[in-house]
Amino acid sequence: MRGKVLATGIFIALGIVALGFRTPADAKISLEKCTLCHGKPEFRKILVDGKIRDLFATEDSLKGSVHEKKTCVDCHFDVSEIPHRQRPQRVTCTHCHYKGNAEGAPQSDAYLEYFESVHGKAIAGGNAKAPLCQDCHGNHSIRKTKDPASAVFRGNVAETCGRCHIEIYAAYKTSIHGVAVSQGIPDAPSCTGCHGEHKIYAHKDPKSTVFATHVAAQCSTCHASVSIMSKYGIEAEQVATYQNSFHGVASGFGSRTVANCASCHGIHDIRPSEDPRSMVNPKNIPATCGKCHPGANPNFAVGKMHVDSHSKESGIIYYTAQFFKYLTIGTMLALIAHIFLDMYGRTRRLRGDK
Amino acid sequence: MREETRGPVYVERMSVLFRVQHMLLMISLLVLAATGFALMYHENWLAAAVVRLEGGMLYRGIIHRSAAVFLMAQLVYHAFYMLFSREGKRELREVWLTRRDFDDFLQAMRFNLGMGNEYPRFGRYGYKEKFQYWGATTGVFLISVTGIILWAETFSMRFLPKFVLDLTLIIHGYQGLLIFVVLLFWHLYIVHLHPSVFPMNRAWLTGKVEVEWLRQEHPAEYEKLKGEGVI
Repeated sequence: MRGKVLATGIFIALGIVALGFRTPADAKISLEKCTLCHGKPEFRKILVDGKIRDLFATEDSLKGSVHEKKTCVDCHFDVSEIPHRQRPQRVTCTHCHYKGNAEGAPQSDAYLEYFESVHGKAIAGGNAKAPLCQDCHGNHSIRKTKDPASAVFRGNVAETCGRCHIEIYAAYKTSIHGVAVSQGIPDAPSCTGCHGEHKIYAHKDPKSTVFATHVAAQCSTCHASVSIMSKYGIEAEQVATYQNSFHGVASGFGSRTVANCASCHGIHDIRPSEDPRSMVNPKNIPATCGKCHPGANPNFAVGKMHVDSHSKESGIIYYTAQFFKYLTIGTMLALIAHIFLDMYGRTRRLRGDK
Repeated sequence: MREETRGPVYVERMSVLFRVQHMLLMISLLVLAATGFALMYHENWLAAAVVRLEGGMLYRGIIHRSAAVFLMAQLVYHAFYMLFSREGKRELREVWLTRRDFDDFLQAMRFNLGMGNEYPRFGRYGYKEKFQYWGATTGVFLISVTGIILWAETFSMRFLPKFVLDLTLIIHGYQGLLIFVVLLFWHLYIVHLHPSVFPMNRAWLTGKVEVEWLRQEHPAEYEKLKGEGVI
């Protein structure tokens, strides 16, 4: 009996040792060591302000993410002894993600763009609430952008940004763009569609894609494209008519006070004009125009907004422009004809005098 | 006596006051054209350069409206001057459009086309000068009306719907173009290219014209002045 028990014991012990040698020793040990504490579901810390920081992490945490094959200390590289005495630093993604890295991590300048952005500047300025890479991309669950489970997947971007920008998210969610994105329409813009991805700047920053004088150009990246707009029955001339309007011309020459697309259509809460909540619904136009033109009345809504005097659809405006065009050409021709006739006549007159 | 009549003899055609009015009118119209066409043809690189020269859209607008106020003030002053001053009343009688001017025009055209034998004998102002004067005056008055509507856009829109304002903008621009074209081509002819004055009739600077020129181009006026003993 004793012999059997001993033999079984040795067998099991050998088996465990053999299992231990089958995988890279330090990695396995590291993960096991970490999960010794972090693998307990109740492993959490209650912070001073009463918030709970969940510290639960297992070998499944990275499953499905782009870092599936990495282990804890690949990112939490400041942990050198276990249990660690201090709280590990926030993970620095640029540890691997820089151009020319030897890890085989995707190489891009995204982090450089990020450091220049409003978020990067805020971090550098000591704002602890400003987002680092992992705040948008996720921490353990980082997935490729195309992966529908990714925090930065087209359909999830707004929600991700909305974790901090909650009021803007609420306004955007029910806007025409927000609804379109949630319906899976591929051309509709999420936050990053207008603001950019890593190089997001504050809208008061002249570098921003949504700076007052850049708004029209930013909207026109989609709205001036006939091939995109025709799919949804939206007119693509709206951009050109704006650019030729007084507002557009002034904006083009750098005026920041003049109306751009967003001044009238709204910023995050853009809705189709048929929607009674839309800023450009005829009922709301007096209020919308009144922001700049005090005393605006319903007369502001009588007539087409985006007028093109060269288009027949503009009706009387088109025909008046045409009338004046030919009147001017006609006058010019008549004057030139008169000049030549009169000079010819004068030559005859002088000849007759002799 | 013979010695004296050999050189050109001059007679005054524009008094100092009219020369000043003409100069101010010219300046304000050129400023209005430069600022206005820069907006109208903003896509053109030259227009864009002019807008930048004028200090951007804000200053372009301020310059345009300042010049417009100045022009309208001139128009009002001119109207009062022509109606109530002694010199103005005399000039108004001379420049007033009559049936004869229409007949003169037809007669001139017939002569120029070789269908008539006699060219009209113009007085102080022929149909050419009168057309220029009334064309520009009417044009300036009408463009002022549309300009004021556009300037006071919020007030205008208490009474006018948006599309009327859009229409006004179109009309204002083309009115400007029309005035510009008429003044350019008409001036180009009657005071520059016309062989009797080429390259320029200097009356707008010196106020004087040659008596001989008057005898040829405005014979009725020449005879009238001769009768009055002025020349």
